[in-house]
Amino acid sequence: MTESEPAALHRRRFLKGVVIAGGATIAAPAPVQAQAPEKPNGNASPPTAAAKAHERETPQEADRLTTEKTGSDFMVDVCKTLNLDYMAACPGSTFRALQESFINYGQNKRPEWLTCMHEEVAVGMAHGYAKVAGKPMAAIVHGTVGTQHAAMGLYNAYCDRVPIMVFTGNAGPIDERRPGVEWFHSVQDGASTVRDFVKWDDYPMSLQHFAESTVRGYTLACAQPPGPVFITADAKLQESPLEEREQRGLTIPRLTIAAQTTGDPNAVREAAKMLVAAEAPVIIADRYARSQQGMDDLVKLAELLQAPVVDNRSRMNMPNTHYLCQSERSAGLIAQADCILSLEPVDLYGQLNVMRDQLERTVSSKAKKGVKIISISTRDLLVHSNYQDFQRYVGADINITGDAQTTLPSLIEAIRREIPSGGNTSIEMRGRKMREAFNGFADRARAEAALAWDASPISSARMYMELWEQLKQEDWALVSDSDFSSNWPHRLWPLEKHYRFIGGSGGYGVGYQPVAALGAALAHRDAGGRVAVSITGDGEFNMAPHTLWTAAHHGIPYLTVIQNNRAYHQEVMHVQRMANRHNRGLRNVPIGTTIDNPNIDYVKIAQGYGAVGIGPISDPNDLSEAFRKGIAAVKAGQPVLVDVVMQPR
Amino acid sequence: MKPIILVLAGLILAAGPACAQQGSAPAGNAQNGKTLYLQVGCYECHGQAGQGARMTGPRISRTEFPFEGFLYQLRHPANQMPPYEAAALSDQDAADLYAYVRQMPAPRDPNSIPLLKAEH
Repeated sequence: MTESEPAALHRRRFLKGVVIAGGATIAAPAPVQAQAPEKPNGNASPPTAAAKAHERETPQEADRLTTEKTGSDFMVDVCKTLNLDYMAACPGSTFRALQESFINYGQNKRPEWLTCMHEEVAVGMAHGYAKVAGKPMAAIVHGTVGTQHAAMGLYNAYCDRVPIMVFTGNAGPIDERRPGVEWFHSVQDGASTVRDFVKWDDYPMSLQHFAESTVRGYTLACAQPPGPVFITADAKLQESPLEEREQRGLTIPRLTIAAQTTGDPNAVREAAKMLVAAEAPVIIADRYARSQQGMDDLVKLAELLQAPVVDNRSRMNMPNTHYLCQSERSAGLIAQADCILSLEPVDLYGQLNVMRDQLERTVSSKAKKGVKIISISTRDLLVHSNYQDFQRYVGADINITGDAQTTLPSLIEAIRREIPSGGNTSIEMRGRKMREAFNGFADRARAEAALAWDASPISSARMYMELWEQLKQEDWALVSDSDFSSNWPHRLWPLEKHYRFIGGSGGYGVGYQPVAALGAALAHRDAGGRVAVSITGDGEFNMAPHTLWTAAHHGIPYLTVIQNNRAYHQEVMHVQRMANRHNRGLRNVPIGTTIDNPNIDYVKIAQGYGAVGIGPISDPNDLSEAFRKGIAAVKAGQPVLVDVVMQPR
Repeated sequence: MKPIILVLAGLILAAGPACAQQGSAPAGNAQNGKTLYLQVGCYECHGQAGQGARMTGPRISRTEFPFEGFLYQLRHPANQMPPYEAAALSDQDAADLYAYVRQMPAPRDPNSIPLLKAEH
């Protein structure tokens, strides 16, 4: 742009340049345009040596103070070619230009900027969002300190194999860094803090590099096994003016999502033979289904074999209303199995063995000797060395590296070919036994739920059933795990659709629950306004209570029930175990593990953040009205917290 | 032989009321047992009403497990339960605890609870 060129005209030319490049994103990648050589200025005399020296010694005060376009605008153009609806952030100066470009140049749409009060929230809500929306959202974190805050959220997402696009900023070269803070927030290799638990990272050195790395990052994040990707947006690149000539040379590569890996056909055929020949096959589904199709295929497979499915609930894998969902008797089934098919196992060794947590640790097998193991998984495609999330090694009889959901249709076809045309009597008999066993599950669960029905503190079973009574007429979704409440929803509620449940944290990093629930609730809101419900322990909630403010600010309705046992109860049990082991008495076990004296007023906290607060509820007879009010408020668009004083588990 | 005993003890305790047998228990003070139940942390895994919890410990309310087996499980627990040696819990304390869990309120019939009725 020349000095006299109107800004508006310049803007049009700039946009045109971007449109040309952007057009390439839906066709073929455009070649990088060669830059025209700069014309020499015919009127200027070459500087003398003295003039050059003078310039070096006394730098001139820069008189260009504004610009209408910067590298960060182009970065926004890049992000807009991706399927990103949201960018979550706690503000930080290392990405100030990007933030300004997203909200002004990008008009704060696709992605829309979401304000979080901690980087762990920004990343964690992206974690929960992806599991519901089935695609990544983005988070951006401050250089160095923001990355450190985000680390646990990234670790959870990595362990849970969830795609997230995470960006960070970093100050530019040292001669342009302001003294002081910018140095503290600068780093030579920012991704080193999180490299052990992201799928890929890059620090682009140019805008073209940024475009390619960001598009590549998105495709890598989504390829099975998915994971978080970490891209550094250099502040110099963000803030430098983007000259028209440079813009024209920039292109944005086309985004293509790769077809997912499928298991080797020969191995799949062998697996089919093994399963059909088995007398007591068991299917274990872990981090398996990422869509309703995955669930439907698992039902087909189970029905074909009349084989029980043990759902480990890392995802919503198997409808618990189906008679072949036999998770309730997993121990007995695994003990009797002669063939186990494991789909995307998280910890196959732990599924087959138990280790006593006593002074001397001993291992015993849960499975019988000679059981055949078939594993279909992408776990071997994403293994890093340092963090030990890969669990102990198990040598399966048939180990198929491939995405289990993508592989299942071919396994089903292979099994169909193996089953004799007249059917298989033993398969049919197995089905009858499964139906009989299934019919007893509900009665047993109801009898156990009745045990502490009238207790105060309130039993987890009572809380879940009172909640269900108010929730059942809604299109609902449970956005929290249930391991710490005896899996009651899986035993008492019908979970028959994929979006009903999203599994757990992945890395057991405490603080996941409230932040993942926020992101999941956002995706459920966008999916048509499902009533999202999160049951959150009090210790976990206190890691990020300000999620309620983000929810109120951005109009994200959901119900948070505080499972308030006034303790970090898992740790209460751990410390007691040590006190027992050391014979030192149990009187001091509460030190450092309980959350009382004073009791926390969660209702005030919720109200302070702009959410609806109800409770504390200590009398189980008050639950019904509390949940009725809470769900009504959620349906009216508000985030709601109900504080329930409860039994430990 | 010992491992078999351990496993059996664990299974029987887990099974709770299904394995009926008692009568050899020493006299216990249920009121003190109630205090101990909270003080030594039984409630942490088994719930304040002894109802049990899926991942932490089985139901122990109104256990029909014999006292000898109950005591053996405390001293030499099967599976994951932490051990309670005499230094932490005397035999008399164990008897008091046993008396307490034996007289916990009987569970309600789920069909008497509207939210748990079979046809609900």
